[in-house]
Amino acid sequence: MTSLASPDLEQFRAEVRDWCEVHVPTGWRDAQTGVSDEEFVSFQKQWFGELRGAGYAVPHWPREWGGGMSVGEQIVLYQELAAHDAPRLVLAFVAIHHAASTLLAAGTDEQRSRHLSAILEGEIWVQGFSEPDAGSDLASLRTAARREGDAYVVNGQKLWASGAKYADWCLLLARTDPDAPKRHGISYFLLDMRSPGVEVRPIRQATGESHFSEIFLNDVEIPATQLIGPENGGWQVAQATLSAERGMTMLELAERLGHAGFAWLVEACRRPSAEGLRPVDDSLVLDRLAGFETEIAGLRAMCRSLAVRHETGHVGPADASVVKLYYSELLQRMMNFGVDVAGLAASTRITKPMSSGWESGAWVLDFVGSWEWTIPGGTSEIQRTIIAERGLQMPRA
Amino acid sequence: MNIDLSPEALEYGDLVRKALESAGGDELLQTLESEPERRDGVVSPLLGELGAWDLDPRGSGDELEAAAALCRAVGYWAVAYPVAERLCRSAMLESDGLVVVADVAPAAAIGGSDLRWAAVTLDGRRSLVTACPLVESPRTSAFVAPLVLEPLDDDGGDDVALGVLLPCWTLLGMLDRALDLVRAYVREREQFGQPLAAFQGVQFQLTDAEVERAGLEELAKYALWSFESAHPGSLQDALAVRLAALEAADIVFRVAHQLHGAIGFCDETTLSWISRYSGPLRRLPFGVSETLHQLSLRAGRDGLSGIFSGGAHR
Repeated sequence: MTSLASPDLEQFRAEVRDWCEVHVPTGWRDAQTGVSDEEFVSFQKQWFGELRGAGYAVPHWPREWGGGMSVGEQIVLYQELAAHDAPRLVLAFVAIHHAASTLLAAGTDEQRSRHLSAILEGEIWVQGFSEPDAGSDLASLRTAARREGDAYVVNGQKLWASGAKYADWCLLLARTDPDAPKRHGISYFLLDMRSPGVEVRPIRQATGESHFSEIFLNDVEIPATQLIGPENGGWQVAQATLSAERGMTMLELAERLGHAGFAWLVEACRRPSAEGLRPVDDSLVLDRLAGFETEIAGLRAMCRSLAVRHETGHVGPADASVVKLYYSELLQRMMNFGVDVAGLAASTRITKPMSSGWESGAWVLDFVGSWEWTIPGGTSEIQRTIIAERGLQMPRA
Repeated sequence: MNIDLSPEALEYGDLVRKALESAGGDELLQTLESEPERRDGVVSPLLGELGAWDLDPRGSGDELEAAAALCRAVGYWAVAYPVAERLCRSAMLESDGLVVVADVAPAAAIGGSDLRWAAVTLDGRRSLVTACPLVESPRTSAFVAPLVLEPLDDDGGDDVALGVLLPCWTLLGMLDRALDLVRAYVREREQFGQPLAAFQGVQFQLTDAEVERAGLEELAKYALWSFESAHPGSLQDALAVRLAALEAADIVFRVAHQLHGAIGFCDETTLSWISRYSGPLRRLPFGVSETLHQLSLRAGRDGLSGIFSGGAHR
């Protein structure tokens, strides 16, 4: 593995730094706080365009599709973006990770060339997997797709679809064979969200926002050319989508947690209270910070190792679960500590910038938002089950 | 020594819980949030009819226990009204209630109240609250308002312990409810062909939460006894209960939210309301670190007396 201090990477780091200094928008946090959906979307698309122009938007994609950065280069890129407090690609997240891995793993040439190029032009994707009765037990999903001539007619309901309000396309799982054992009767479709019969209803969260929605599907027609993978072979294809969420996304998130989240936590600990005392002068606080720094170092090493093994095709069946579990619970504990340190001021902050990461410095909101990692993407309970059964070969319960 | 609440107090608590349920239960809180100006008018007479405002927790052991049971019942339904704080009114002042405040930037969940409030710091400095405007919707403020204070005297030392302790009983009621909600949810919600409750991993998390809640309950009962018997360490004991309450709340709500899955984020779920309204109780007058700090200062090197006195370290 190349040292991050190699001359080539140092040269690359200098280039990224120079770029960030010119291109990272100033004052974006204020500009993105309490804004309308339209302003959020417009900002996100613009930022995506900037990153794309520099070749920084999809570094994890294969070279022929606009990526091709080595793992070391990706790490340097994410580190510098975090250190310069760059906005996150929130809107494009599902497109550049989930949709792209799925298309690359199982798409036809036509599907890939159509959608990967479109994603680079700003096409937005949403994941249509979960249903009211199919959360952790995703395989029991009931949205049904019936073949009729050259198309499939789909009826059903999807839940917790993040960003559905803004999406152009949807990664959709539906049942095509109700008589087969549950995992063997599922098909995977690429759904155009503008198709007649698609209705999106935002869900209001406890924080007052609506980041995710219900999607109702009433006799939606999907051309058979938009089936991805074989009919009834959707569950296998979905594994590519799920592992992208748990695996490669972590590289950027770990670097952000270390270079932005942790940095702000230390800064918060250095800030004197009204009585003039600094948390960092308390040895208990120092102990906690040292503990977190150690855990972050472990996380970053694991993510890097996972990324390298992903490139060489040596990823173990539970590796991504270990990383996801570790990241999500560390994030939660760190944000909780941020709440403790920041005191009442943190509890009275009710908005955070829309283009920030899961560590935004708005500690209470970040703590509440950390449940977006211990629950979605496979709950911590599911990750533990995968680690036990597939990683440690424990008997299935 | 019997630290259990008397049967009469327990019965009173049940009565209040049922009365609040009949008055709308969870919908009561939703009404208070959407029509904050009606808060006093809705809650005060309702509890008044149950004799709440006749209780003098500083007056007798029976009334103290009844007050604790009342606060717990109010917490169960997350009724966003300063019941504990009203019950803590100082005997010596002309006021309707007492809030314990931090030394800096005093605030309390009494926003928009027309009652006469007094405030006291941990060191016993008392003030009159001359203004507590509700500047933000309770949706985001949970009725917390910055307080404008007029200093009064330094004689509030005896007022503080109860002011710290009684709101912990309200929080205990919220934890009771959070546990009831999550137990019901994991029994009902099925995945992989069985209720979530059948998974041992789920059961173990629930047990962690219950152990915390049960521990808090015992400590809260002890602190009542300590206050009632005018134990010299009653403020330390109250701070210890507060610390336990905050730590238990952290764990109980975390487990409850994790086991509710995504639905726990949403307004449709009672848990998300209870969680939101637990905020002021957990953050004011100060959070975990400051509570621990104040407890450490006061417990000094001698520690807490506890139920089993004459320990080996003395």
